[in-house]
Amino acid sequence: MTDTLLAILHMAIFPGGIFALALGFFCKGLDRRVEARLQRRVGPPLIQPWLDTAKLLTKETMIPKTACRTAFLFAPVFGFTGMAVCAAFIPVPGVYSGLFNMGDLLVIFYLLPIPAMALMLGGSASSSPFGALGFSREMLLMLAYETPLLMVLLSVAMLVGKNLGAESSGAEFSLLKIVAWQQENGSLGINPAMIPALLAYLIFLPGTMGVAPFDIAEAETELLEGPLLEYGGPLLALFTVTSAFKTFVVLGLGIALFFPGTISSWWPVNLVWFVLKCLALMLLALTLVKSATGRFRIDQAFRFYVTIPVALALCSLVLVWMM
Amino acid sequence: MSLDKTLKKLSVRSPWLFRINAGSCNGCDVELATTACIPRYDVERFGCRYCGSPRHADVVLITGPLTTKVRDRVLRVWHEIPNPKITVAVGICPISGGVFREGYSIEGPIDRYLPVDVNVPGCPPRPQAILEGVVLARSIWLKKLGLEE
Repeated sequence: MTDTLLAILHMAIFPGGIFALALGFFCKGLDRRVEARLQRRVGPPLIQPWLDTAKLLTKETMIPKTACRTAFLFAPVFGFTGMAVCAAFIPVPGVYSGLFNMGDLLVIFYLLPIPAMALMLGGSASSSPFGALGFSREMLLMLAYETPLLMVLLSVAMLVGKNLGAESSGAEFSLLKIVAWQQENGSLGINPAMIPALLAYLIFLPGTMGVAPFDIAEAETELLEGPLLEYGGPLLALFTVTSAFKTFVVLGLGIALFFPGTISSWWPVNLVWFVLKCLALMLLALTLVKSATGRFRIDQAFRFYVTIPVALALCSLVLVWMM
Repeated sequence: MSLDKTLKKLSVRSPWLFRINAGSCNGCDVELATTACIPRYDVERFGCRYCGSPRHADVVLITGPLTTKVRDRVLRVWHEIPNPKITVAVGICPISGGVFREGYSIEGPIDRYLPVDVNVPGCPPRPQAILEGVVLARSIWLKKLGLEE
């Protein structure tokens, strides 16, 4: 009973729920602000994502006559639930070690594509031809970027598993143990064998977040936002909130896999340190890339993802295997 | 202040723009989409975002004198935009017909069919004028929600 209650609290307040939403929205606001500064303009206020959500909540909800009503309404809830649960599995080093201390890489790997699947579901249920096109592009892109992610996770798990030796057999998929091992033996992000894997993870980030140069499924100039075309009002707000959660999840996962070091034994300092690391990762992998590039075609993006990040992750995997 | 009122008051700080071309000569479109909406004039500082889908729009900018061919399509797209919405007529054509006034193929002025909230006259209007129209639309939006600025 207390376990269930604790799990619900972790999903609703920290690190899921309120904390993840606040951090995700802050990231998005900062992202827009920094992008504006890079283009030498003022940009929107930092609370702009909150304002956008407030606006969407006051708007009318419209459902197309030809849409599949149930799936159309269910899709955003599906994505939101998946990410809300996933956020509770993300460890905040030095503060929180993951739900029931069992945060497992494979669980996260299965929960991560849920928002993309919700987009696909909503896009195909909306009965719009642009939604259908967005659906096929999202699916292709997802197939392409999930492969390097799995290999990155596998190389981290194998490295930690090998070093833990007798305690586990082969790979170690428990995030708790991965974080604990790195806190004792140094971060994996500065381990030469893992640098290709880190690069592959950095390349994976813009793809999974659907930002330029990989905003192919929602391309607003050619597909008119693709799967999101028919969504408006509170339903679109739910998609925005899901995306904020996802930002927290992918950044937090990156921190847990590569830089889970702590600088103090006092938890508030560690929390601030975690937030700073998240912001640095976001600015590096999302904002800078986004403001410096245009948009790939879907075939170019697919070819890019199945060659370069896969090759990088494979390098790490082989290096770890030979160690 | 109630939650509903707070949300409404905050909502006007996020006007998302959508553009409809009602048979324009393209002059106003160039001035609107590729001049007023570029980083130099920074429309994003008002919280604006240029969106591709009418379902996401709050402020709809209409250019052109509303030709016969395009009339039904413009009306259809306009009705796809969820309420509350603010209509801004950009250029002299949607306001009076401009140089095309009383032409055989002109159905305008546009306020015969749609309620226009802000007029931005000019042939074409300057980008600064278009931005002023968007900012004016925000205060009209507040009035529509029953709140004064």
